[in-house]
Amino acid sequence: MDFDNVKAQMRKGVLEFCILSILSKGDAYATDILNKLKESELIVVEGTLYPLLTRQKNAGLLSYRWEESTQGPPRKYYALTERGKEVLKELETTWRELIDAVESVIDKNP
Amino acid sequence: MKKTFTINLGNRVFSIDEDAYERLQEYLERIEGYFSDQKEREDIINDIEIRISELFSERLSAGKQVITILDVEEIITVMGDPGVIAGDKEDKSRSYSHHERGSSQRRLFRDPENRIIGGVCGGLGAYLNIDPLIIRILVAILSLTFGVGLLIYLILWIVVPEARTTAQKLEMRGDSVNASNIGKFVRDEFESVKKSFRGNKRK
Repeated sequence: MDFDNVKAQMRKGVLEFCILSILSKGDAYATDILNKLKESELIVVEGTLYPLLTRQKNAGLLSYRWEESTQGPPRKYYALTERGKEVLKELETTWRELIDAVESVIDKNP
Repeated sequence: MKKTFTINLGNRVFSIDEDAYERLQEYLERIEGYFSDQKEREDIINDIEIRISELFSERLSAGKQVITILDVEEIITVMGDPGVIAGDKEDKSRSYSHHERGSSQRRLFRDPENRIIGGVCGGLGAYLNIDPLIIRILVAILSLTFGVGLLIYLILWIVVPEARTTAQKLEMRGDSVNASNIGKFVRDEFESVKKSFRGNKRK
């Protein structure tokens, strides 16, 4: 069995959840999101963020707009859509349930 | 003296060395290769280019105005392997030491610096780690017998790509592609050019 793939999928799922969560606290451009994810060591290489953002955008969870910047070219700011907020709520519930479920399994099987 | 290009990356303008440009282009093309949907691919590449342009800008100053191959290699390390970006591989750099990841396999290329006709034997020599002369003799003998060697040579010439970039030349020799190796390779190249230049002048 390919455990590397399992790990990659796990991390990817959590990352998607965290991106939505970061954006629920305010609109942000990719590098802001990146810095937050790096602070919490959720992301190893920067490149992994961009396909996730694009896919969430295409799935209607995010929208973006261009904003002028004082340090260079305009920046692409991402924001949560209504659909994104709904999905985030569902993910939060799932996350809590998962933690409880996994911990109860681990406790029962020391 | 080195040739540089001027590029527009993420709406910023950069001067970039020729070898660095080739490496960057190859990297972006490899990322593109992982995404089949055209719209999605454009968005992702666009975002990645913007990020790379930010990282480039952070590296430039009044005393440093050109993007070199070392900058590109370091940024590729920050951005990650195309397979990891596409999400079908777990990044191993966290759990494994660097040399394990870097001990790259040899890849078969034609060697443009060790060629008589198409560089096939030179490349095969590097791939198999034997003297290209032995391969050339073998090909010559096989060519005398029914032209088999000639046919094989022609096929390999068509099929095997030429090692153009520094990274490809390192891969051809089985050296891992990392910043220090590339630096060493470029210095060696520079020395050999300098030597041949002096040699020519004496004539």
